[in-house]
Amino acid sequence: MTSQVLQLAQIRTEGEATTKLEAMREAHGILVDAGAVTAAYLPAMIEREESVSTYMGNFLAIPHGTNESKEAILKSALSFVRYAQPIDWDGNPVHFVVGIAGVENEHLDILSKIAIVFSDEDEVDALLKAGGPEEVLDILSEVNN
Amino acid sequence: MTTESTAPPAPAASAKRAGGARVGVQRFGTFLSGMIMPNIGAFIAWGLITAMFIPTGWFGAESPVAAWRWDYAPALGGGETPDGTTWTGLVGPMITYLLPILIAFMGGRLVYDTRGGVVGAISTVGVIVGTTIPMFLGAMIMGPLAAWLMKQVDKLWAGKIKPGFEMLVDNFSAGILAAALAVAGVFGFAPVVTALSNALEAAVDWLVGLGLLPLVSILVEPGKILFLNNAINHGVFTPIGTQQATEAGKSILFLVEANPGPGLGLLLAFMVFGVGMARASAPGAAVIQFLGGIHEIYFPYVLMKPALIVAVIAGGMTGVATNVVFESGLRAPASPGSIFAVLIQTANDSYLGVILSVILSATVSFVIASIILRASRKKDLEAGGGDLSAAVAQTEANKGKSSSVLGGLSEAEAAAQTTGAGAVTATATKPVHNVVFACDAGMGSSAMGASVLRNKVKKAGIDDVTVVNKSIANLDGTEDLIITHQDLTDRASQQVPGAVHVSVDNFMNSPKYDEVVEMLKKQSDS
Repeated sequence: MTSQVLQLAQIRTEGEATTKLEAMREAHGILVDAGAVTAAYLPAMIEREESVSTYMGNFLAIPHGTNESKEAILKSALSFVRYAQPIDWDGNPVHFVVGIAGVENEHLDILSKIAIVFSDEDEVDALLKAGGPEEVLDILSEVNN
Repeated sequence: MTTESTAPPAPAASAKRAGGARVGVQRFGTFLSGMIMPNIGAFIAWGLITAMFIPTGWFGAESPVAAWRWDYAPALGGGETPDGTTWTGLVGPMITYLLPILIAFMGGRLVYDTRGGVVGAISTVGVIVGTTIPMFLGAMIMGPLAAWLMKQVDKLWAGKIKPGFEMLVDNFSAGILAAALAVAGVFGFAPVVTALSNALEAAVDWLVGLGLLPLVSILVEPGKILFLNNAINHGVFTPIGTQQATEAGKSILFLVEANPGPGLGLLLAFMVFGVGMARASAPGAAVIQFLGGIHEIYFPYVLMKPALIVAVIAGGMTGVATNVVFESGLRAPASPGSIFAVLIQTANDSYLGVILSVILSATVSFVIASIILRASRKKDLEAGGGDLSAAVAQTEANKGKSSSVLGGLSEAEAAAQTTGAGAVTATATKPVHNVVFACDAGMGSSAMGASVLRNKVKKAGIDDVTVVNKSIANLDGTEDLIITHQDLTDRASQQVPGAVHVSVDNFMNSPKYDEVVEMLKKQSDS
């Protein structure tokens, strides 16, 4: 699958962060490298996290900006980072951090695939065992929705 | 198009189960009421303007009170002012265009949301311009029908449109269908209603000729409710009545349609035994009807409960029979049909008969309407008041009781269905077709939650429910069921108090999803 929104370069299977803040920085960094957001997006991500946690369940967190921070988004993109050691996300264990920059709903197609994959615990297991970014992308692409 | 489907398709189609005729009728009534009730305010506005500014209105050139006659009333009521200017006025455009289009919009919206409303409204314009009769009947059929057709057309390519082209396809398909229906309405629909109106006129003419006056009410009252009263009045009663009045000084025919008694009785019955907004708005409507003489005000109340036609027919027959017995009549047409206009035109020897005819017709109509309303009152209350606004009012009353579980639930159902503190509601008072996940920005968690639930809904084989995501700020009140993170539910329920709200703490595999799917499944099976 080729998606403009989630390119291979935006997927990491060996994340470096060990705390929630670092993980958000890592996600933001990938989005900046992809040319999707400006530096101003990180404070918005942190602000959003302070109001309501983006922990979704099943080891997944999806940090993103606030409704007001949409100006900081240049184009739609996602980041996908896997952490072997769970990160403490407001008391929940998180192995997968998917950073989101979305405008005009261009990212919804891939995001909904991610959602359906993560709602199935077997698929989450497969993602935990995936060998590299290609394999992750394959698992996410297989979803038929 | 043809007029074979005289019933709006949605309620008929959703009453699937065999033996559900009674339920079907009830749903049909609820549907009519959902289409009419939200527009009562528009009827009242039109009624006030009409009562004041038409030529025979209170400030018109022929006002019953000479001192109130105002030269410039035609600027509002329509007609020519002394300076020679001709005015369209408010009265004509409102009754001809605004009210039918509002009704068509609501009817379309009930079938297929705002999109259905828009298509229904456009299509109805075709029906309106095809004839000179106010097109309420046409609007009540065309609005829902056009929306239903739009829904069927959309199904043809649902899910097959390339992402990014949805808006384009949606707008053009709606535009093309509505344009076609509007054209079809002009040629196919209007002539049918015109013919119906002419047939009614001929039938009334025939009954009058036979001297079976009380039976005339059987035709006149339904004719009034369908807004065909002017044709009967101007085509039959006024010409023949005027002829009789020249010979005998009075005519009973002026009172057949203009007697404000039956409508008054009906509205009084709503004041006492009605539910929800119908009850709350009845007193104001009674004033406009009885004192202002704008009978159109009570038509919607009959339309939302068609059985009530019996009450107004019986009331009308009583009034006519009373006048026959007392040989009483009016000197000239009472227009508008207010009690004042009636009394002003009453022939000198007829006061007793005329006043009695009004009182007796109101009494009979009140008693019968009360029996009908009482018989269905319990059901109406359970059904959220028999109209949508009552459901909203109910929600307002529930507000503050439980912020996470409120919504359009009746208390009884809430008590019966709630499985524990803060559990998901299992039944909504109105059908749920529009499920929305809401979060702050509408780009992250709500999108994922919506995807997961949409997937589950699809797997369960439910196809009449949409699941989308929005930011809380964009919630516009059209949502039936709103799912939010537990920390945001308060905000969402403040924004849309009329919807059922469900809180989740986990967007990926909340057990509440299964409860929601279960509820939707029950709804689509029933």
